[in-house]
Amino acid sequence: MTVVTEHRADTGAGTGVLERRYRRLLLGYPRAYRSGYGGELIATLLDTAEPGRTVPSARESFALVVGGLRTRVIHATERPAWVDGVHLGVLALSVAQLAMLVPYATTVPLWAGLSALAVLLIMRGLVRLALPVVVLVAVKVCAITLGLPWLDRTLLPVDPDRFWGGGSLYGGGGPVAPMIGYALAVLGLLVLTAHGRRLGTRSWFWLPAASLLAGADPAGLDFPAAGGSHAMARVALEIGVLLLAVWAGHVAHDLRWAAAAAVYLIPVLAVYAENLGMHSERDVAHLAVLVLLTASAAAVPYRAKRHVLL
Amino acid sequence: MVSRMAKGSPTVSEPTYFILASLLDGPLHGHGIIKQTLELSENRVRLPVGTLYGALDRLAAAGLIAVDREEVVDGRPRRYFQLTDQGRALVSAEALRMQQAASVVTKRILRPGSAFS
Repeated sequence: MTVVTEHRADTGAGTGVLERRYRRLLLGYPRAYRSGYGGELIATLLDTAEPGRTVPSARESFALVVGGLRTRVIHATERPAWVDGVHLGVLALSVAQLAMLVPYATTVPLWAGLSALAVLLIMRGLVRLALPVVVLVAVKVCAITLGLPWLDRTLLPVDPDRFWGGGSLYGGGGPVAPMIGYALAVLGLLVLTAHGRRLGTRSWFWLPAASLLAGADPAGLDFPAAGGSHAMARVALEIGVLLLAVWAGHVAHDLRWAAAAAVYLIPVLAVYAENLGMHSERDVAHLAVLVLLTASAAAVPYRAKRHVLL
Repeated sequence: MVSRMAKGSPTVSEPTYFILASLLDGPLHGHGIIKQTLELSENRVRLPVGTLYGALDRLAAAGLIAVDREEVVDGRPRRYFQLTDQGRALVSAEALRMQQAASVVTKRILRPGSAFS
């Protein structure tokens, strides 16, 4: 039962500024949580703030950011684990595939555009609509890797725009790895379509991720041809997202993030298998980190179940 | 969460221990728990609000605490949390465990003739 009792004392204009800043920090929490408990958190935050404070302390800000992420992770487990894991994995894969096409967008605008559309549709959970779009892009990519003029006339090799530099499209590796990547994306979408139920929407974070990944050739090895800042940005983003997956698996005791990481890892493994014997030491280290983090994401939920920390 | 706990032996962190201890005398709201925790721990455990509510959500999901009642103060809801029987049993068991662990040392250092007595 809810009882209306005392009134908080008027604490002045400084509190208004502080409250606005706390509200911004609370945006890290899921919308449903904010509408249920946001007011209560704000009241407690204002009650515990020192008089005259207008900027949240670093300690409190950090706790709110971590608390928001943790609550999002817990809320995510309300969806069925395997469906959610496949959805997330296919989205990560489609973002990497879009990033591959971005530097060539002026030469193959239709296919880069369709790839971006596929990412948007998958992100919004509209997998039934995304499926034919991904199939079309997959056929075109196969055509380019095999040097065939399917679907439209594309002058090969496809060179990148001047801004990006680098080699021709899919010139850094064989045709098998891109085909495996697209086959996996199509298979994942088929499974999600067959499942039938409406999927949740994904964070808009995935769109800027595509631009961060752009320019680093996922179809070839990262480092033999000088690596560069694009390759480093891609590796840093991969490691950051995989560390989040490990943490989320630990917090929620759940395997969905490991499943998504595994979906992303399979085409990467195909790249390495297709280029066997051509890896630099940094390539091997890159692969080892990806495999280790994916295995950790799969192992931590079991460990967290055995050792419950309250 | 409760079924998860049954699979493993829960380890109680220091902040969680003091949160549970702060509720031994009766229901408290978030700010009350922070103040009581600070006092009980002799200013050692200063809980940020984000951390406190994360812990309260986990403890409620584990069945160790429950919402006793809600009030509205200045237009904002405020929940009062109370210990469940399970929570009371857990914090009591943890206190006994720490007491026994402490006695291993205190029996020796307070013994007549000990270098510390």
